[in-house]
Amino acid sequence: MSVRTRYIFSLCTALLLAGCGPSPDPSFVLSSKTDELFRDARTPVVKALEENFGSPNNLVVWAKLPLDYGKAEPEVAGHEEAGWKIKHGRNLYMVHCLHCHGVSGDGNGTTAKFLEPRPRDYRNGVFKFTSTLSGLKPSRNDLKVILQNGIPGSTMPSFVLLKDDELDAIIEYVRFLSMRGEYEIKLVNEMSAMGGVTKDIERRIADGRKDKENGETRESILQELNEAIEGDLPDLQDSIASDLAEDWNNAESPDSQVLPELERVAPTAESLARGKDLYYSKKAKCVDCHGLSGRGDGALTEDYWDVPNTTPAQKYHVRGLHDVWGNPQQPRDLTRGLYRGGRRPLDLYRRVFAGIKGTQMPAFGGTVLNDTEIWDIVNYVMSLPFDGKVSAAPAPEEAPSQEEKVAVTGR
Amino acid sequence: MGKVWSAFFVFWAAAAVGLCWVSPHYGWWLPGEAASPLGTEIDDLFHLILIITAITFIGTHAVLGYVLWKFRTGQNRRGTFTHGSHNLEVIWTIVPASIMLFISLYQMDVWQRYRVKSTFDQQAMRAPVAEVTARQFEWRIRYPAPGKVLKDMPQPDDLYTVNDLHVPEGRPVVIKLRSEDVLHSFFLPHLRVKQDAVPGLVIPVWFEALHSGEYDLVCAELCGWGHYKMRGRLTAEREADFQAYLKKLSETQFDDGVTSQPAEAAEDENSQAAEDES
Repeated sequence: MSVRTRYIFSLCTALLLAGCGPSPDPSFVLSSKTDELFRDARTPVVKALEENFGSPNNLVVWAKLPLDYGKAEPEVAGHEEAGWKIKHGRNLYMVHCLHCHGVSGDGNGTTAKFLEPRPRDYRNGVFKFTSTLSGLKPSRNDLKVILQNGIPGSTMPSFVLLKDDELDAIIEYVRFLSMRGEYEIKLVNEMSAMGGVTKDIERRIADGRKDKENGETRESILQELNEAIEGDLPDLQDSIASDLAEDWNNAESPDSQVLPELERVAPTAESLARGKDLYYSKKAKCVDCHGLSGRGDGALTEDYWDVPNTTPAQKYHVRGLHDVWGNPQQPRDLTRGLYRGGRRPLDLYRRVFAGIKGTQMPAFGGTVLNDTEIWDIVNYVMSLPFDGKVSAAPAPEEAPSQEEKVAVTGR
Repeated sequence: MGKVWSAFFVFWAAAAVGLCWVSPHYGWWLPGEAASPLGTEIDDLFHLILIITAITFIGTHAVLGYVLWKFRTGQNRRGTFTHGSHNLEVIWTIVPASIMLFISLYQMDVWQRYRVKSTFDQQAMRAPVAEVTARQFEWRIRYPAPGKVLKDMPQPDDLYTVNDLHVPEGRPVVIKLRSEDVLHSFFLPHLRVKQDAVPGLVIPVWFEALHSGEYDLVCAELCGWGHYKMRGRLTAEREADFQAYLKKLSETQFDDGVTSQPAEAAEDENSQAAEDES
């Protein structure tokens, strides 16, 4: 080989191998609230998260949580150790979900910035489309329905071709991420209540400097904080975990399911007229958000709204309603026939009865509206894609032909 | 060029031919036997063209290898100048041209049946089984209610699924293909059907599944970062099963949580009655 050939050859090899090498381990990110804590309060939070949840490559099985981590089954290959299911779920999550929902389930994956609406941040434990009563967590089955059907009108696709056990494993991992996120939020809130926020500590130190005789010193403030943390932390960890367990277990209970007592009122012209009246009524106030023609452009979408929990009150920069994630939120355009949480009458009933979690869609069931009224509204809403004339309903069964009748009587 | 280089160029051509030759035995070839009647004919065309190109490829590379070897460097010969051969030029223009002409005429029949709308099965055209709307990154499917004809606009009794297309087997079926956002391509590899979905157009696509079974439905047009996710499933089944499927779909889709669960509700009542008694 000539010198030049050798040179070109080694250059090509170097180019081919560039980028090879171990990639960094994935890690769960901390919420911005955790980073607002002072070091003495932040360290125990980080430690608690590591001990109880681990890292993506090193998941911890914590029996206090209502998670099916996968029991050890020594006779089954791949199931020898406890936690096989959550690991299986993690691997599938990394393939199918990570690029939008992020390693930590914070809805901040690499493709997230291209998407509208933004991918869900699970970490506050709120899921929009559930079969459960207002304010409750989703059941496992709710998450499965979303995975199977996707969310029409958003960028969440359908995963209907994944196998049942794969879906189950992913769901368990999503629940794990959600519990981890909520655990972190709750622990940080407790730490904030104990005075662990950096800003508060700085303010107290500054106040103490003004009043030299009776004021607090940096040392006394930190000592107080550390004592409070040391005293409360073990109990706190347990109580937060048992709260989480109660909430998530509650969602699985049949009593938490929203199921109508009356069957769907037949979508007759009368029912549509009643639904229409309710839509515009002071009682249901649908029109305030969903607009005069159901296009999601009601009067409330014209205002600038306050950001919750801010003192002094700040306003959102964007006109219109916002959800608990702080994203602008458009009331659904009911004329398009796109139903994010499912298009069954039952799904629409549940949306009206229990509202949509994390959004401004309130729960009407049980208090404001009775079953018949909800069904009338559902019938009216399901007629909006068809100019309010007919409501979506199954085609009437054709009358059996003469031969079939004979067959039936013959039997 | 020396001996090494002549061998080098002949080696790659030989390797390509050898690889193609063995690949059917390793399953690196077509995605199974064609599952549609037109697919079989498309495969025949493919094989015919493959044979023609293979003969041409082997012939030209044999000549190339021979020339490389014969006129390699280091033989201390002088080259001769030639202005070319008129006869040879005529031959290697006319022979490929007539092969091309033959192929273009020979495939017209299959192309016409595949793509010319007036030749489609008219009964299937009148009653398309479904509308398939491609979207980043999934296939949204709309069926007419059992016994109804698919309309262009959504109807109150339409049935919806996603990524899961069911069709009856053993007869030509038509789907109406649309796109909601960008270019996609409706590809049924086993049935040898591929058709671009173009935003703003409603394109009828026909195919016939010979046997019941599940087949892949994939997107064959790079449509964005999630292109690889755009996988669906085609299920071909007997007419009666297909009708039953639609009926079940209708029941699920118009479920109100009460009428669909008479058995369960009755059970609950029974158990409550039992509790009351005890």
